[in-house]
Amino acid sequence: MSTIKRTWKVNGKSVAVRAPAGRRLLDFLREDLGLVGSKEGCGEGECGACTVIVDGEPVVSCILPVGQLPDGTEILTVEGIEKKRAGRLIQQAFVECGAVQCGFCIPGMVVSSYALLCRNPKPSVQAIREGLAGNLCRCTGYTKIIQAVKLAASRLPKRK
Amino acid sequence: MKTTEKIDIRFPKTLAEALRLQAREETRGKLLAGGTDLMVQWASGVPAPGRATSIWNLPELSSIEIFPGHVEIGAGVTHAFLCDCPQIRAHVPALVAAAATVGAKQIQARGTLGGNAANASPAGDTAPALLVTGGSVVLASLSGTREIPLSQFWTAYRQIAARPDEIIVAFRLPQKGKARERFRKIGTRRAQAISKVMAASRILVEKGIIQSAAIALGSVAPTPVRLGAVESFLAGKSLSPAVIDEAERLAQATVQPIADIRSSAEYRRWASGRLVRDALENL
Repeated sequence: MSTIKRTWKVNGKSVAVRAPAGRRLLDFLREDLGLVGSKEGCGEGECGACTVIVDGEPVVSCILPVGQLPDGTEILTVEGIEKKRAGRLIQQAFVECGAVQCGFCIPGMVVSSYALLCRNPKPSVQAIREGLAGNLCRCTGYTKIIQAVKLAASRLPKRK
Repeated sequence: MKTTEKIDIRFPKTLAEALRLQAREETRGKLLAGGTDLMVQWASGVPAPGRATSIWNLPELSSIEIFPGHVEIGAGVTHAFLCDCPQIRAHVPALVAAAATVGAKQIQARGTLGGNAANASPAGDTAPALLVTGGSVVLASLSGTREIPLSQFWTAYRQIAARPDEIIVAFRLPQKGKARERFRKIGTRRAQAISKVMAASRILVEKGIIQSAAIALGSVAPTPVRLGAVESFLAGKSLSPAVIDEAERLAQATVQPIADIRSSAEYRRWASGRLVRDALENL
């Protein structure tokens, strides 16, 4: 076992990291930082329930060893996204469209939707499907989730 | 404590430092890039190694260079980066198409081209597209670098031609020039699925005559394979319906697929032929 000492920015706040290098980012976020919004679905990078944004890219935190994230890494979890305007628009749209059933996949869906809209504020249905392809939902059949992302996109403030 | 937490992971800052660690058995670790295969294997019961050497983000492995006639892609380049690179799309389009089918966005952001090759799964998405370029792999060790043709790189099921002290540093891939490339993957669903069969091709047709054809399949043999018999049959032929029929039949007769959890041998054999037809009908 090797231990790492790092400083990251998690949801905008500086965080001192001390953990085994092979600790999964998901465990660090949930157990060490108490950020339990990210869920463990499959534990093998397949379902996307643990998706977080690392330096601007959506990744699955259940297969990411913390040692591979250097000093200065910026991590955005669903708790941080909730505080951003686009994040609130996404949440609201999920509620209005009835996109949530059991809810377990939803934090990951919200994070992937946020990552998608940051990159592509006016996504086509095809782009939404691709952006959310790594997030599995066993309840909804995706239709209302896709509607929700479209609705959120339509409410994003226009870029100047 | 979870299994992966017990691993002693080293984080060299440069390739030279990584090569020094890998040179001696006492310091050598399992090479770990984006972890999209290894972290999954270790979490699901494959015994984790005592030591690992992280090569994620090594600067020497992260570049893409365009030369006259070929491209050189660093082994640490991610699938997401490949998908966003217009020059790579122009010169080796099947590879970009393949990279876009690896897992989904989250996996593409972490998975690397070198990692996909080193994992050596017969179902590795990028392997057939690499094979049809006729390119090579660049391996480095403390004693220097050497180049191995991709056609000799995957030696057996999950085996590669690299020595334990070597690190894959780059892929040298001839540009397609006037040839056309195509990539198709058949899986249970469009995204986040491991293939039942997939095909990549690079075919040059001039004035209706096939000048050269490179066709590779994945998930039909212990390693990704080029369809040599089909390729030599096609060379010099005109692109007629009869030739396409024969190429399809020949592909089905050549492959030796197995049945497993994802598909049956019969389906794979049939689909192999259909994919060859698809490549020829969409030039």
